[in-house]
Amino acid sequence: MKVPMKWLKEYVDINMPAEEYASRMVMTGTAVEGVEKTGEQFDKVVVGRVLTCVDHPNSDHLHICTVDVGGEEPLQIVCGAPNVHAEMNVAVALDGAHLPGGVKIKKGKMRGEVSMGMLCSGPELDVPAGLYPHIGDAGIIEITEDVKPGTDVKSVFGLGDDIVDFEILANRPDCLSVWGLARESSAVLEEHFVMPEIAVEEMGSGTFDDYAKVEVRDEELCPRYCARIITDVKIGPSPMWMREYLYGAGIRPINNIVDITNFVMLETGHPMHAFDLSKVKDQTIVVRRANPGEMLTTLDGKTHQLDETMLVIADKQNATGLAGIMGGEESEIVDDTASVLFECAAFERANNRVTARKLGIRTESSGRFEKGVCPATAMEALERACMLVNMLECGKVVPGCYDNYPNPKEPVEIEASVSRICRRIGVDVPGEVMEDILNRLYIDTTVAGDTLHCEVPAFRQDMEGEADVSEEVLRMYGYDHIPSTLMNATTMAGRQDEKTVFNNRVKDALVGMGLYEILNYSFISPRWLDHLGLADNDPRRNVVKLRNPLGEDTSVMRTTLVPSMLNTVAANLNRNIPGGMLFELSKVFVPAEKAGELPAEKTALCIAAYGEGVDFYTVKNIVTWLLAKFGVQASIAAGGDSYYHPGRKAIMAVGDTRLASLGEIHPDVAEAFDIKGRVVVAEVDLDALRPMEKDFYGIKPLPKFPAVSRDIAVVVDEAVGAGTMMDAIRAAAGKLLEDAKLFDIYRGEKLGAQRKSVAFAITLRAPDRTLTDEEINAAMEKVLKALSEKFGAELRT
Amino acid sequence: MEKMLREMRERVMKNIEAAGATGALEQIRVAALGKKGELTALLRGMGKLPPEERPKMGQMVNEVRAALEQQLEAREKLLAEKEKAARLAEETIDVTLPGPERSAGSLHPMNIALRKMVDVFVGMGYEVVEGPEVEFDHYNFELLNIPKNHPARDAQDTFYIDDNIVLRTHTSPVQARIMTTRKPPIRVICPGRVYRADEADATHSPVFHQMEGLVIDENITMGDLKGTLDEFARQMFGEGIQTRFRPSFFPFTEPSAEVDLTCANCKGAGCRMCKGTGWIEVLGAGMVNPHVLEMCGIDPQKYSGFAFGMGVERMTLLKYNIPNLRYLYENDLRFLTQYR
Repeated sequence: MKVPMKWLKEYVDINMPAEEYASRMVMTGTAVEGVEKTGEQFDKVVVGRVLTCVDHPNSDHLHICTVDVGGEEPLQIVCGAPNVHAEMNVAVALDGAHLPGGVKIKKGKMRGEVSMGMLCSGPELDVPAGLYPHIGDAGIIEITEDVKPGTDVKSVFGLGDDIVDFEILANRPDCLSVWGLARESSAVLEEHFVMPEIAVEEMGSGTFDDYAKVEVRDEELCPRYCARIITDVKIGPSPMWMREYLYGAGIRPINNIVDITNFVMLETGHPMHAFDLSKVKDQTIVVRRANPGEMLTTLDGKTHQLDETMLVIADKQNATGLAGIMGGEESEIVDDTASVLFECAAFERANNRVTARKLGIRTESSGRFEKGVCPATAMEALERACMLVNMLECGKVVPGCYDNYPNPKEPVEIEASVSRICRRIGVDVPGEVMEDILNRLYIDTTVAGDTLHCEVPAFRQDMEGEADVSEEVLRMYGYDHIPSTLMNATTMAGRQDEKTVFNNRVKDALVGMGLYEILNYSFISPRWLDHLGLADNDPRRNVVKLRNPLGEDTSVMRTTLVPSMLNTVAANLNRNIPGGMLFELSKVFVPAEKAGELPAEKTALCIAAYGEGVDFYTVKNIVTWLLAKFGVQASIAAGGDSYYHPGRKAIMAVGDTRLASLGEIHPDVAEAFDIKGRVVVAEVDLDALRPMEKDFYGIKPLPKFPAVSRDIAVVVDEAVGAGTMMDAIRAAAGKLLEDAKLFDIYRGEKLGAQRKSVAFAITLRAPDRTLTDEEINAAMEKVLKALSEKFGAELRT
Repeated sequence: MEKMLREMRERVMKNIEAAGATGALEQIRVAALGKKGELTALLRGMGKLPPEERPKMGQMVNEVRAALEQQLEAREKLLAEKEKAARLAEETIDVTLPGPERSAGSLHPMNIALRKMVDVFVGMGYEVVEGPEVEFDHYNFELLNIPKNHPARDAQDTFYIDDNIVLRTHTSPVQARIMTTRKPPIRVICPGRVYRADEADATHSPVFHQMEGLVIDENITMGDLKGTLDEFARQMFGEGIQTRFRPSFFPFTEPSAEVDLTCANCKGAGCRMCKGTGWIEVLGAGMVNPHVLEMCGIDPQKYSGFAFGMGVERMTLLKYNIPNLRYLYENDLRFLTQYR
């Protein structure tokens, strides 16, 4: 909320620069976004009096003026405005003046005549028309006030004040007003807060009931409704001071009646509404819920369809405004409005908020109602408006008012313990100091022994209990008094959860292999699942959908990390980064089977590598090493998802448990993700891997007896997997096998087409004896037999 | 015969001296001293000598053998040294030549910072606890004193799955879960992903990370909160970094504070990073609202506690001088490879 310092100073003494005041407020809990001055768009523009004005000899439209700008000698200034004449007061931009749009004024000659400055028009100074009456005139601005030449024009136009932009916290809606902030300031600065005395002079004839009728049909949504009638209204501009305050607060001045309602809203925090009474049908105002489907056109010209949760202001038949949000077009104040009904009401905040959201309307008024407007002070605000009508002499206040306030809120009383508060805040504040602080905040407090008795004023709707009192005490006493202490509490052993520890070890292993960790959003576009070519019934198509996503690209929670990974690779290729190895370890989300339950969150790991020298085996090695880190050796078989290359994809598993799938991305899929080149991807199921890690009990004793190594080479069909053959060797050789390694694959004409020779080095050892030739031969026989039976392998000779 | 012996000795000695390589020396040795060598042949010829001359001759032969062997050995040692020196010289490589390229690998900077943060608190006796990212409105808001349609919900633009399920907007729901399932004393931190419906820009991201801390015990004061965060600031950013508490409002704490840290860039002197104030706003904290304790089934008369929540990305940007939050989610390898 923007507040001009001058306005605040009407009610509280602030004897310090605005910046210092702002920092005092910040340190006591009223946040300030910033301080700025109005009228910073120009400088060195002063009031001048045109003494003489003659036509320029070399021009058909220029004038040569002598202008008194308060200096010793008048200045000669050439001016082209048609409305310039002698004996008028004008705004003079002096030599060296800065004007909006980067314009700098310099003395010079115009068609041979010296010109020492410029006489300014409204647009040249970028001053809004509503702020000063003659701003909008054609030509230069005429200053009608009797001001001494040389005076800074900012003071004439109501500019140059410091505007403090407060950021009011959600618990202090009372500070969304000049009075609230002045009151808060008085407590902070220990100065007096002086409210104007509320006294309305009633001059109109008759009483309220002679002019209008109000019916509040829903007192829950409208806990208070106050109204007053003004007759003999004279619409016109409001006085300079009021326009200046409104402009400073960021509200455009319009006319006296509308300005009064805005002024009162800013000053008291109560949004008001002014109806042109002659246009209120049957002079009756009904506050009720909308009928289902009821239509309403608001002031901004938009038509809305309403439902029965919404509160409207209506005449006997139709809704004419949205209560507390926006009025209707019909009863708008216009230049010939003669009588006015002022409304000052309180509407229920949650309902107001829901309606404003549903209809997508946000106004100053709705913003205040949804934060909470205090019903208790509504009448005061209405009276303030009527006082201003008296003051501005823009109408006659009719005696009597309407006030429906069936359930006034009981004042809140809080009993609090001084010692408990001290313990909570960790600062020893004497009870008397607390009492003084709270009284400064208009919380009527007495202290007796350890007990504080507090009577909370109606406007402090946030105060409920002792904890609130402790905060009030501490923020006024000063947060800088909080000592830095260490807990005098139970000793506890810090630890990380096992899952995090495990995930961190996975990451460290991958980093050690030269991979870089990436982070992607948890939500993706469903189109990316199309890009993967997932079947319609693929379980990964079953996604958790966001009801209000930022956009289609971030609209569903991901069930696989692969699409985001492919986008990352594509982005890096786009940046001309020729290669890289990446991983992401994140959650994927599987919808719950039952509605209303939370989805399952699983830890997934995705690895990708691309660039020169990268092939299927690069990634296979990474996964194999990773599994080895956890003591897991998986078997591998061709196969896997269709988004992989049909001949370059595999599944790694232990028994029936699938641990990883990997492969080169299918060229069609790569193209869909805009990837030119080959990418190899692996997906590892960490939730499956974690339980497979066995506790490490200790080492195997070092061997005492020698090992024997035998090489064999067999010829098989091309389609037979070397890894599969290794698995068969391991199974066949039995306990004596220490190691089996593949060391050569040979293809040649002699072997025949689609045949290959595969050579293995097989190491055998027994822990308790030196192996005999018979034992070795028997083991090798078994190996050969298995290879021959399973793969039709022939010993190569 | 004696003459022959002397002559042979002279000749072989000369040859040894002339040999330029250990291989040539070996040939000389075999020719002179080998089983089929000259000396053996001479020895064999000794049978023709009269018996009384034989011992003398035998002694002479042995003397020649010893002398030759000694000379061979000495020469061989010399030549071997020379040859080794030559080989080493030949093996000289360009040590400045780069080795094969190897990717260094790194965690994501956000996770580097997060690990450091977690380490600090684990060292202070905190247990790390995680909670779901897709969360019930009940835990994310209601148990934290933020009822439906409360204006405090405005500050956290929320992604909804349905009326009752949201993407958690902060890590605070983990607090609520802990308080409803455990008995004090409680001392936990809850790091994790959170979500807000904000468009990505230099300071916003719809996905980011927070770390929440919660302590519930007897006699916990706001001073303890300050002491804890002071210690964290020192460990995370170095000696001389302090906290400053400013009053604020959060529905689930009372009193509440915005916490600033001494600007690590200028050490509080005022610079561009801290907009001249010497302080940088980094986290929110406060004493757990007794109403929240009560809703979670903890006796507020007996127990008190504090809670704090900090943005991990914010810490990362500060710690590593990163100018723009977007860097963290663009996964540009030119950025990532700068980390170790």
